[in-house]
Amino acid sequence: MTTGNREDYLINILRLTDSKGGVVRTSELAAFMDVAPASVTEMVRALSEAGLVDYQKYKGVSLTDAGREYAMNIRRKHHIVERFLTDVLDVDHDEAHEEACRIEHSMSDNTANKFCRIIGTRQDHDCATCGDPCNRDEDCPTLETVEPGTKARISHLRGDSASNVKKLLSMGFVPGREVSVVSRIGNGPCVLSLGESTIAIDSELASAVYLDCDAGTAQ
Amino acid sequence: MPSGRDIQVALIGQPNVGKSSLFTRLTGVGVISSNYPGTTVEFEEATVLRGGGRLHVHDLPGTYSLSTNSADEDVVIDMLLDSENDAVVLVADAMNLESGLALCIEVMELGIPVVVALNRIDVAVRHRQMDIDGLSRELGVPVIPVSAKTGQGIEELLDCLVEGGPRVSGYRPDYDDHIIEYAGMVEGMLRDTRVDPSGLSIKLLEGAGRFAELITPEERERVEALREEFLRIHGDSIDIHIAKDRFAAASGIVDRCVTKTARKRTRAEVISDYTITPSTGIPILALVILGILAVIIYGGSWISGLVEEAYGLIVGDILLDFGESLGGDFWPAVMSGLNESFIGILTLVIPYIMVFYIILGILEDTGYLPRVVVLLDSLMHRFGLHGGGFIPLIVGLGCNVPAVLATRSLSSRRERLIACCMIVLAVPCSAQIAIIFGATGAEAGIQYALLIMGVLLVIGMAAGLLLNRKLPSEPSSLAMEIPDLTVPQAKNVLFKMWSRTKDFFSIAVPLLIVGGVVIELLIAYNLLDPIVQPLSFITEGLLGLPAVAIVALLMGIIRKEMAYAILLVLLGGATLTPDQFVVFGAVMAIYMPCLATLAVMGREIGWKDTAVVALSSIVVAILVGTAFNYGLRLF
Repeated sequence: MTTGNREDYLINILRLTDSKGGVVRTSELAAFMDVAPASVTEMVRALSEAGLVDYQKYKGVSLTDAGREYAMNIRRKHHIVERFLTDVLDVDHDEAHEEACRIEHSMSDNTANKFCRIIGTRQDHDCATCGDPCNRDEDCPTLETVEPGTKARISHLRGDSASNVKKLLSMGFVPGREVSVVSRIGNGPCVLSLGESTIAIDSELASAVYLDCDAGTAQ
Repeated sequence: MPSGRDIQVALIGQPNVGKSSLFTRLTGVGVISSNYPGTTVEFEEATVLRGGGRLHVHDLPGTYSLSTNSADEDVVIDMLLDSENDAVVLVADAMNLESGLALCIEVMELGIPVVVALNRIDVAVRHRQMDIDGLSRELGVPVIPVSAKTGQGIEELLDCLVEGGPRVSGYRPDYDDHIIEYAGMVEGMLRDTRVDPSGLSIKLLEGAGRFAELITPEERERVEALREEFLRIHGDSIDIHIAKDRFAAASGIVDRCVTKTARKRTRAEVISDYTITPSTGIPILALVILGILAVIIYGGSWISGLVEEAYGLIVGDILLDFGESLGGDFWPAVMSGLNESFIGILTLVIPYIMVFYIILGILEDTGYLPRVVVLLDSLMHRFGLHGGGFIPLIVGLGCNVPAVLATRSLSSRRERLIACCMIVLAVPCSAQIAIIFGATGAEAGIQYALLIMGVLLVIGMAAGLLLNRKLPSEPSSLAMEIPDLTVPQAKNVLFKMWSRTKDFFSIAVPLLIVGGVVIELLIAYNLLDPIVQPLSFITEGLLGLPAVAIVALLMGIIRKEMAYAILLVLLGGATLTPDQFVVFGAVMAIYMPCLATLAVMGREIGWKDTAVVALSSIVVAILVGTAFNYGLRLF
């Protein structure tokens, strides 16, 4: 039972439950995926044990919150890849869909985020439930969370206040530039080295500067 | 060569790249320059005659970019858009070229003639090789290496300006296809504009407020819709993508034109680390404060003695003899009053005020202040300010007027109001410091001068805490560039001291003479008592001061050092008791800002709030003075 296989089940349960009020019968799922009902039951049990779906005999299968999030993340990757293939490389839509179905399982979250921010993701019928597709980066470190001594590339900026983002941009905190944390004064401001400037920003601004996901360890 | 014509140029650059020093070099007109971002808040203008033409040079506040919608930036943008302005001198720091070029590119995109002044070239040549011609070729504008410190390149820059050297550059960053697509859509709907339409489209997409005022509300709506669409599709606002491409362009140019040689960490960098690491930074700060106090107290009183002696030797009894020679009662009284107050004012101004300004000048020029800002950020947040609020407070120790102007560097009105209130209530200006140490300290004992300073500190913190709690909260955040530590140049420190103290001689002395004559006239015609009696319940009753002290306090509203000088005239040879000096020093340090401060504060934060702050300062002063009066009687 491969990860890809599990993920296919999750994404298909998501497709069917979206339009059917949250629950799908195993027989429907088997028909939709063109597999034997017995395989479906086996897989659904496994997914249920992993806490990704709720399975009640005679009633059907529904996604748990965790399962739903997992499935949506896969579908988001599917969508990003498909977009790239059709919009940038001019691949035929059906072919792009087939390929995306394979690539979606092997693409990392980090790569998906970067892909997404560069090509953009127009929302269409297939991705109506993706929400804000490029905004899944809560796990990436920010200048506020990394240890002094860390050196990393700025991945992107995000904050509640547009004026804070503008302020950061104007001082040179733009994606792609390398920044290192010199010191941090208690819970207060941190002193950073950016290009040839030394800049102090407080924790609120620091929390808006996201770093590449592999940053976070002092070097 | 165009001759006999007027050329208007503006100095534009990031904060602390040396625009003001360069302005002084170019025009010979001295303006205050210091080693921290945001020294210049109001722009200066001066004219240079050269090659038969007149070159008008404008020194503008520093700005990191043209799209953050801050008040400082609006001043710069207005200047750029002004059709009178012929060219821009983009001042860039050769030691920090990348961010300088990002701003340069932003200005060039607007289709404005530019010449780049590459400042600090004297330092840069020691650390890197720079291909100036290559830089100029890539940017498409002249690049002139200069040093505001040594004067290198200044003549070339002036020649370039009067000979029409600045160029409109066709250089544009290599923007992402999506940005080009959106900029094309914006440009397509713009009708004739004063600035380059493609540059304007980029600025509009960046959401730059000042530029949005150039187009119609309908056009603004459509731009806003495009911005929202981009955000929806990319999950990032278009400003970020534009800034990213612009910095990438700047960084590419730097890579191609600058070769950095590896260098060791300098001693200044090692010291710098100690000043911003809390475990060492806080003790260093404490030592610096103690050192400053010691210099003011011991240095001040020592020089004060010297000045008094010198006055005795040079002027001696001339004024008194002159009074006697005029005969009668009136003139001898005027002259003896003036004699007393001249001694009073001179022994305050020269030793305390001038010494203080030398200390402030050194502090400003070392680049130490921004480090204190970082250390005190958390503390300042309790008062509703971020660490940057510390700079206006320090400037206020010199004079409250530039301090109120310096609050412009704080972004919100709330912060500005809190900072102004703290400045007026609790930050003694150099004249007040001089009276506290030179009069109260000398007459009642230095411990009382320190006590008054302590009380002021408590009042300031209480005001900050209270206002922070009462005013509706607004987020404020610190973002400040930390300049390199440098050794101050004596010339600049002395220049700043002189330009900040010359008023004491040119304004205070004539004012003192007029004031002295008027007061003696009032005494001679028995008009003083009717004026001072109505308020004697405060002066005599609450504060335990002579009733005439009210006149001194009122004169102090005109200029703070007047309070003490006029008091000496009023007392006519008599003196206050040590306790009365303590009360007087405390009241004088707190009550009512001087007229100049009131005027600038009214303009900056509004008259209503100014009136409230001024009135509360009177109330607090009377309360503190009364407490001192009764407190001292107990001991």
